[in-house]
Amino acid sequence: MRRANRIMTVIIFIFLYIPMVVLIVASFNTGKDVTEFSGFTLKQYVRLFQDRSLLKLLANSLIISVLASFIATVFGTVAALGIHNLNPKMRKVAMTLTDIPMTNPDIVTGVSLSLLFVFVGTKMLGQRNSLTFWTLLIAHITFNLPYVILNVMPKLKQMDASLVDAAMDLGCTRVQAFFKVTVHEIMPGVVSGAIMAFTMSLDDFVISYFVTGPSFITLPVEIYSYTKKPIQPKIYAMFTLLFLIIFVLMTAMNLMQLVSDRKKAVSHIGH
Amino acid sequence: MSKELIRLRDLTMEFDGERILDGINLYINDHEFLTLLGPSGCGKTTTLRIIGGFLTPTSGTVTFDGQTINDVPPYKRQINTVFQRYALFPHLDVYDNIAFGLRVAKVPKDEVDSRVREMLEIVSLKGYENRRVDSLSGGQQQRVAIARALVNRPKVLLLDEPLGALDLRLRKDMQNELKRIQQAMGITFIYVTHDQEEALSMSDTVVVMDKGRIQQIGRPEDIYNEPKNAFVADFIGESNILDGVMLEDYRVRFFGRVFECVDKGFAPNEPVDVVIRPEDIDIVPKDQGHLVGTVTGVTFKGLNYDIIVEFKGFKWLIQTTDYHGIGTTIGIRLNPEDIHIMHKSEYSGMFGDYSSYSAEYDELTEDADGEEE
Amino acid sequence: MKKNKTGFLSIPYLIWMTAFTLIPLGVVAYYALTDPATGVFSLRNVRELSLYMPVLWRSIGYSLVSALLCLVLGYPAAYYIAHCGRTTQKFLYMLVMLPMCMSFLLRTLAWVGLLQDTGIINNILAAIGLPRLRMIRTPGAVVLGMVYNYLPYMILPLYATIVKIDGRLIEAAEDLGCNGVQVFARVVLPLSVPGILSGVTMVFVPAVSTFYISQKLGGTDTVLIGDVIERQFKQGSNPNLGAALSLLLMILVFVCTGIMNHFGGSSEEGSVMV
Repeated sequence: MRRANRIMTVIIFIFLYIPMVVLIVASFNTGKDVTEFSGFTLKQYVRLFQDRSLLKLLANSLIISVLASFIATVFGTVAALGIHNLNPKMRKVAMTLTDIPMTNPDIVTGVSLSLLFVFVGTKMLGQRNSLTFWTLLIAHITFNLPYVILNVMPKLKQMDASLVDAAMDLGCTRVQAFFKVTVHEIMPGVVSGAIMAFTMSLDDFVISYFVTGPSFITLPVEIYSYTKKPIQPKIYAMFTLLFLIIFVLMTAMNLMQLVSDRKKAVSHIGH
Repeated sequence: MSKELIRLRDLTMEFDGERILDGINLYINDHEFLTLLGPSGCGKTTTLRIIGGFLTPTSGTVTFDGQTINDVPPYKRQINTVFQRYALFPHLDVYDNIAFGLRVAKVPKDEVDSRVREMLEIVSLKGYENRRVDSLSGGQQQRVAIARALVNRPKVLLLDEPLGALDLRLRKDMQNELKRIQQAMGITFIYVTHDQEEALSMSDTVVVMDKGRIQQIGRPEDIYNEPKNAFVADFIGESNILDGVMLEDYRVRFFGRVFECVDKGFAPNEPVDVVIRPEDIDIVPKDQGHLVGTVTGVTFKGLNYDIIVEFKGFKWLIQTTDYHGIGTTIGIRLNPEDIHIMHKSEYSGMFGDYSSYSAEYDELTEDADGEEE
Repeated sequence: MKKNKTGFLSIPYLIWMTAFTLIPLGVVAYYALTDPATGVFSLRNVRELSLYMPVLWRSIGYSLVSALLCLVLGYPAAYYIAHCGRTTQKFLYMLVMLPMCMSFLLRTLAWVGLLQDTGIINNILAAIGLPRLRMIRTPGAVVLGMVYNYLPYMILPLYATIVKIDGRLIEAAEDLGCNGVQVFARVVLPLSVPGILSGVTMVFVPAVSTFYISQKLGGTDTVLIGDVIERQFKQGSNPNLGAALSLLLMILVFVCTGIMNHFGGSSEEGSVMV
């Protein structure tokens, strides 16, 4: 049984990683086609760093995802704190609102926001181009918020409520108690919420595609437009670099967590 | 004794239309060790939280040193709390936990250090400064929680079931420790517990609560010896509670017999509750007894045997050092000072009958008492 | 004990979410129910929906097949990961997460390179003397694309549910006379139901609304509802019809998740919160 599961797991990982291997191999290919490896080269990487327009798109993607996830993290953490203290009925309303963008297909979220922005922009404000950087930012914040809320809320729930009482008992005002105690308790949730929001933003293409205009294009939106023209191999080089960065970051985070878990375990045995 | 420090006047508290506190009137003196004692849900923790400033009463006033403090937030009160499960900050070590309040108050660094070290000494945790709080045992965490509160030199320390999470032996040690600390620091302790033994052994004053009302206030001896109603008699120690009629001063009739007693001041022929403590009953040969009954159950308790004896269909609990087997017929004698008379109350008839007594039953209810609210 | 003192902090959030999730859905409904030419109320778009029912059924069919395939493939993997040592568990979990962080578009494009008539797989087949297969532009390729892209969404909630199953329950079942298969059927599987429901929902919803996979991997006979919606908006045909289709899709998804939640209790249970 366990053996069969193991084989299945191996097969699934091969299945998940083969396309990425194809892309990574293609980034070192002298030829243009992914299907044929004609020789090893690093020139795609050189080209990537010479291509200002491509770097600009990457920068755009980073700007939007950093900004949106940062704003959503602060805004969402404060909101989670509020929701946690609402009465059960209002809390339910808030959680239903939070669930809407999570449940709705991305395409519906994209279409609905796009229609809203166009409706308000052209019919109410009389703009010619209502889809801009700002509409993109609003859309990203909106779909990032639920990730933050859903990561922070369980931490608030798990937290011993008397910790805040204890802080206030020892002289903290409500605000001081938040920064001295609550923040530390919910930090893991805030961080994982922020990371999820950031990755969702960085990779989002469906919603961005509908709510952004020609004035501000992100990398995934640009890649989508390659449906019509052939893909440039330097994109593979960029993919490879991103893959490496994410892999290293994730491994580092895992290792850090492991080390801190060990420490905890050791000091537990210690006494 | 010393002067009055805190007074609660006509406190009521309601949550969602449910009355948790119903007219609490109580004063607490400086340097007093006062215990709020009662079963879970009796309102003792709510009372404590009102004094701590975590809850605002629905009506009534709380005064501290003559000032009304109903709306004073906790951080402005000269009161500190030891929380039920300690509420130590998991992200700080022992030292930083204890220094927390002083740092918030911006006490100079040197003074923080000397006061924290002094407290560590008092609670016998020297050398534990840099330990993570979650690596400490329950008893050690308890000490940190006490040190963290006391280092701020509060006038009053509130303790919410502080020993509830500890095992029996540790609990006994900590009881002595707490009493010692209270006397050494010379401050007021307000202590919440559901454990009557703890309350009796530590307190200057015990306040017995049930259903949001105070049932009795008094010194531990008075509470034990002169319970005011069937609830108190049953909750504090074991009691056989019988229906009786007070014929006149010093004369009470129950079980068809007239007994001499030491109580007076009742109306002639007033129906009363009669309390007889199981350890006060003398067992004698059956021909010498005031009453004669049959043993129906025996439990060995270590120090003594708990025996259940049936008298005319009513079962009594008697504690004795001599063994009496099931089926034995015995006589008992009651001295006048062993008979306590109480006015009838809403609790009459609810307690003091040992028909369904068993040792296991006792333990079960104790477990269920663990938590309030 | 309730304390309403900081509840007000949620007000800006409630306003924001109302403005940018509820109101936009209202706008969608408004567009769906107005005539594109005149801008007055009309049921024209709604009536036109019937033309797209075959596309909708196809989308539902492909997505259901994908969700089931994901379940069959993902369950053993999730089960395996959940029973590894802590360190291995974390590492494998990360390996499942990682593809989700990489460009969905590029990874799908890679499949084109693998599947096309002169693609990598066919080249390998040819090299070992086997006949080339026609894979791209078939329904199978579209389903493969869906399974590939959304498999992690199945494995993660399954893993989260299975890892929480108390090992003592399995011992108890064995103690009470269950063999391996019975333990699985009577204890492990029933306890995984929340994860299964949440995984199926999390695969089905994005799959039924996708608009890229079939454009790249499918042919003209595998057009999905998402592609139709995209065309109505981006190729300038008819946003009002697009709005009506979006509304239909949204209702479909809400009905499905409603059914799932009804059977599985709370939707929060096994979701992929790290």
